[in-house]
Amino acid sequence: MADQGRIQQGGSQHGIARTSRVRTDDQRQRDLDRIAKYRDLEDQVRALAAAGDYTAPALFQLTSRLLRLNPEYYTTLGWVLMLDGVLEFFSFRHYSTLFHQLLVIVLGRDPARPRLPDSWEDWYNTETQDLAVIKSELAFTIPLLLESPKCYWIWSYRLWTLQQAIARLRPALARKIWEEELGLASKMLGKDRRNFHAWGYRRHVVTQLESAALQGSSMVEAEFAYTQNMIETDLSNFSAWHSRSRLIPRLLEERGAGEEARRAFLDKELTQIREALNVGPEDQSLWYYHQFLVLNLVAPEKHPAMTPGFTRDDRVAYLTREIDEIKELLEDYADVKLIYEGLFEYTVYLCRLQERQPDAGERADLAAWLAKLRQLDPMRNGRWADLEREVSLEGGNE
Amino acid sequence: MSQTFQQLPEELQLATSAHVKYIQSLDSRKDEYDYWLTEHLRLNGLYWGLTALHLLGHPDALPRAETIDFVLSCQHDSGGFGAAPGHDAHMLSTVSAVQILATIDAFDELETRGKGKAQVGKYIANLQNRETGTFAGDEWGEEDTRFLYGAFNALSLLGLLDLVDVDKAVNHIAACANFDGGYGVSPGAESHAGQIFTCVAALTIAGRQDLVDKERLGRWLSERQIAGGGLNGRPEKKEDVCYSWWVLSSLEMIGKTHWIDKDQLVAFILRCQDPERGGISDRPGDMVDVWHTVFGLAGLSLLQYPGLQPVDEVYCMPKSTTARVLGR
Ligand SMILES: [Zn+2]
Repeated sequence: MADQGRIQQGGSQHGIARTSRVRTDDQRQRDLDRIAKYRDLEDQVRALAAAGDYTAPALFQLTSRLLRLNPEYYTTLGWVLMLDGVLEFFSFRHYSTLFHQLLVIVLGRDPARPRLPDSWEDWYNTETQDLAVIKSELAFTIPLLLESPKCYWIWSYRLWTLQQAIARLRPALARKIWEEELGLASKMLGKDRRNFHAWGYRRHVVTQLESAALQGSSMVEAEFAYTQNMIETDLSNFSAWHSRSRLIPRLLEERGAGEEARRAFLDKELTQIREALNVGPEDQSLWYYHQFLVLNLVAPEKHPAMTPGFTRDDRVAYLTREIDEIKELLEDYADVKLIYEGLFEYTVYLCRLQERQPDAGERADLAAWLAKLRQLDPMRNGRWADLEREVSLEGGNE
Repeated sequence: MSQTFQQLPEELQLATSAHVKYIQSLDSRKDEYDYWLTEHLRLNGLYWGLTALHLLGHPDALPRAETIDFVLSCQHDSGGFGAAPGHDAHMLSTVSAVQILATIDAFDELETRGKGKAQVGKYIANLQNRETGTFAGDEWGEEDTRFLYGAFNALSLLGLLDLVDVDKAVNHIAACANFDGGYGVSPGAESHAGQIFTCVAALTIAGRQDLVDKERLGRWLSERQIAGGGLNGRPEKKEDVCYSWWVLSSLEMIGKTHWIDKDQLVAFILRCQDPERGGISDRPGDMVDVWHTVFGLAGLSLLQYPGLQPVDEVYCMPKSTTARVLGR
């Protein structure tokens, strides 16, 4: 699970070819040297802290070196984060003094000093210094991120630094820094379009940019346009489709969309996904999004955004049209199981919507599609068997 | 898998003794750089290795007294555990510590020589955000449904679930649900098999499985099995042995493991083992590690591979342990 952050980073290997575990003497010696270097650094940091030696430039350099060796070593980032001054938790290790000292050195000032400056000039100078430190810290983490893009602790430290921008700089300056951060998020997603962390990070940055602290306003239109962009680059990007499903309710709300506008919106979404299915009917991402749209038709209590004015007849008409369109796909693609699955699912929905049992023709269709599913996708035979039971059970009961 | 072990063809044989030896060797690799780089995972690693050994039917392959000494040496006055002595306390290592002590039946040592159960419970409970119900991993504040699950897991083992606001936590999980029936790392995030496991398991511990859309989730989970028999964690991603656990245990919790091809999954996991030197990797031919070893074995156990001890699908611990500790 390459996605899941810290645990996997250090605890597991992904995609590294199995090689002989026998090292040559040279290799072993090289490992021993690296170990010695690593442990030496770590011992130095701990010793300095334990001895209460807070001549911090040396200490700060050490933590930087240690971080470069092993960005997963969160304790070190914890030390840096401790600059926040929040945590008496470590006080039993007498680290609070150390962090206070570090803060003085890193930020060039005493955090205990009152926030209000004596003069404007003083304020200006402090802000310039803060800006310089914040920028250099942000730059410091970039190479670390390039090396370990999924390391949570680097992101966390970066976010803390960005938070400092809000706390210490004028909103206009802080906003600029955060806007650059959105650029970074876009760049990362450009490189790895499904990167889980990058999507989450983007959501976070956007929330900040929308906040009053940064004099922001809603970015839902821009973010929706961003998903459109991502989809046009790569139809198979489920992360973008997912993000879309989450943005739509808010988007329509903020547009103040009435029933007609919402219906038109749904029409457009359906057309787009249908066209996508025409070229890529074996793509799960597309079907998931199609299901989301269909849920707006058949489960309006959970997904009301696009169909508030729909009567039952509207829902039936829309769903019937979708089923017919999907049937047409069969002419070009006779062996794509997702088509049969869609047909089966939506036909069952249609019957439920109309509170009736499948008629004879539908029954024959359902049976034929199920047979196709069994043939094309025997891995999920257990599920097909359950579906069959479900459908005929309904018939038997009523 | 109803055959007995001996009847299985060679490619379906589990290399039990190689795996035991591999896990036993993990702590004697102090001359390897990775050993030190992964020091921040030492306690988690011990939990993974110990659980693997129990599932393999070799519960005594690690010395019990030393295990207890090491675990207790990682504990802070706050009650929380660090990953190794001298490391800051963290939710994940604290959960591992509780799971290890539960597995080797050593809660009494925690009482007499450690800071006591109550203090551990207090440490975990303090990491709950009382406004949103979610949990942070440590005092730095990272929030993730993994930590919520970890808290529920450890607190229920300690019998201290009442220290936290279960209802609020449950509401938070509900907010992480997506239209596809899955769950993401936080509200708004895409469904992911690892997060689905943590959310469904936490809901199961809380007795709130009624909130799970089992049909839709079961379908999404079953679609994680791809050609070759392995499971992936999200649509259009590669298969990986650790998902044998996240996906399969979730299917087990909602009663739908029959929605995938179990025999093919067994064969996939077994193709990922290193039969000579032991251990299991993410995919065939890759480097093995203890993480994929335990989750591969736990998957095989859920698939009722002959000779393995039954695993608890909610806790990822031997069923005999959860039965004893939880009194079921
Ligand atoms: Zn994995």
